[in-house]
Amino acid sequence: MYVRLFAAIWLLACAGLAVLAWSFEAPFAYDPVGPRAYPLLLLALMAAGSLWLLVKPKGEPTPAIDWAMARKVLLCIVALLAYALLFEPLGFVLSTALAGFAMGLLFNGRLLPSAVSGLLMGVLLYVLFDRLLDVPLPLGVLELMEG
Amino acid sequence: METLNFLMQGFDVALRPTNLLVALFGAFVGTVVGLLPGLGPINGVALLLPIAFALGLPPETALILLAAVYLGCEYGGRISAILLNVPGDAAAIMTTLDGYPLARQGKAGIALSLSAISSFIGSIIATCGVVLFAPLLADWAVAFGPAEYFVLMIFAIACLGGMVGDKPVKTLMSALIGLGLATVGVDATTGVYRFTFGSVSLSDGIQFVIVVIGLFSVSEILLMLENTHAGQQAVKASGRMLFNFKEFGQTVWTMLRSAVAGFVIGTLPGAGATIASAMTYMTEKRMAGDKGRFGDGDLRGVAAPEAANNASACGSLIPMLTLGVPGSGTTAVMIGALTLYNITPGPLLFEQQPDVVWGLIASLFIGNVILVLMNIPLVGLFARMLAVPNWILVPAIAVVSLVGVYAVHSTTFDLVLMIGLGVFGYILRKLDFPLSSLILGFVLGEMMEDNLRRALSISNGELGILWGSPITLALWALAALMLALPGLRWWRNTRRRVRETAAETHPAP
Repeated sequence: MYVRLFAAIWLLACAGLAVLAWSFEAPFAYDPVGPRAYPLLLLALMAAGSLWLLVKPKGEPTPAIDWAMARKVLLCIVALLAYALLFEPLGFVLSTALAGFAMGLLFNGRLLPSAVSGLLMGVLLYVLFDRLLDVPLPLGVLELMEG
Repeated sequence: METLNFLMQGFDVALRPTNLLVALFGAFVGTVVGLLPGLGPINGVALLLPIAFALGLPPETALILLAAVYLGCEYGGRISAILLNVPGDAAAIMTTLDGYPLARQGKAGIALSLSAISSFIGSIIATCGVVLFAPLLADWAVAFGPAEYFVLMIFAIACLGGMVGDKPVKTLMSALIGLGLATVGVDATTGVYRFTFGSVSLSDGIQFVIVVIGLFSVSEILLMLENTHAGQQAVKASGRMLFNFKEFGQTVWTMLRSAVAGFVIGTLPGAGATIASAMTYMTEKRMAGDKGRFGDGDLRGVAAPEAANNASACGSLIPMLTLGVPGSGTTAVMIGALTLYNITPGPLLFEQQPDVVWGLIASLFIGNVILVLMNIPLVGLFARMLAVPNWILVPAIAVVSLVGVYAVHSTTFDLVLMIGLGVFGYILRKLDFPLSSLILGFVLGEMMEDNLRRALSISNGELGILWGSPITLALWALAALMLALPGLRWWRNTRRRVRETAAETHPAP
């Protein structure tokens, strides 16, 4: 069922991308193939595959969505996105502490231990990567304190 | 003789103090990543690759690190398989079948040490195979032109469809999605922007590291939310920790046979350690017949899959080093690592970068010795790692993933793109699309289009060049055979089923 849904969406996406790919034209013919043929070939093959899955989604039926789990997954995605977006503005140490705490809770950690592990991760990994291994990480708001 | 000289040169490289240290570190990290359920060699290699790059390690050192992690994972997967009945990585699934029953019978120590030796023997035999066959294949592959390469990649993708078995259409779809992702960005020949949606960050394509970490680490984090085995008690390894001579004698032939079979399977593009361990286990079970106790604790049942999966891991380095075509998902990531260093894998690698190739091969020998020495006495320490709770482990994986991606370009866009790809990967995995073929497609993508267009430029647009030489014809035939395999299997199964139902309805008199 879900495979069918995915195949249908993918088929539509292939059509949309094919329209987009049709406009790829080189101002001057550098080679006999050009930039458009290969992506169009891939899209055609993908569309054929999607059609096949749409008609004959063989294999194990995908189990129904467990909504409690889906909520957790969604929360986890939101936490990760927030982490990514705050990574530069807040700086590595603070954003990691927050993300470590939030994800710790999502994975059934208790309140205090999750907070402590998040904070420790932020500080220790900053020292490890930025100071010891020379992988530059953003300091964010902590930059003021350093200055 | 020449090979031996090169191998000696390789040992010179691999025995440099930094490289030894890196191999030791990689072996340790690899074992830990391998034993943690859910995290396999691809995750380990993907997490360490951007960091190795950001640290400015020279290419041979980076490859030695990644190879040590790869091998370490194959060693580590067996620990959780035996003690916890949960395979640490996909290739260790077969090890649980006899490993866990052995542990329950109080023979965990014997199973662990014997499987470590099996892994060692498997790797060493396969590495000798690499030394013998890789230079030959490289010499031969120098004659490959763009048309041959293009067809070779078609063959590699067809192999995936034929070997991964029960879901050829989904496997091929995954590979196509990977190939498609590789077309994003500016077209190298004409300078036309493709699928960039006006974004500057996408103009030089989607960075390899972002794809790998997004697809494998982020989607793994989401999958781990459903993990239920956390908190399950591992069997305590007690009693005799080392196998005795008799037990070794019983299993040595199994190890040797499985090592050779695993090596051969590993060299085929697309067929990896998982298939190798399953096939050798089944073969050994059939050979033992009624006398074997497979399924309730036969030592051969841990020796066979462990020898095979390590042998195939080493074997998969052959197509990677000689042809530039990966033999497994993990070697696909290693090819990506080489391209980060502007090194194009392929037959010329042996001439142009002997330090990289032979240093890597020599480091396989060294890495294996380190791993077997580390794994037998330290197994207790590794087993304790299984107790690290998910609420510490998962955030740590998330942090290292973000650091790895940030190290490449230092932009927030990349971080968000990584999470987007991770969610996409999660959906694909839930729908049972294999991600390793996606990453294979992504790695092959650029080379494939390049070679196709170069071939057609040579022939001035004449398609005939794609099947104009004996090599291309043979490769097309092999590819067609691979694609026909699932159909054949399906046909045989239906025929058997028809015969069985016929036998049921008409019982023999």
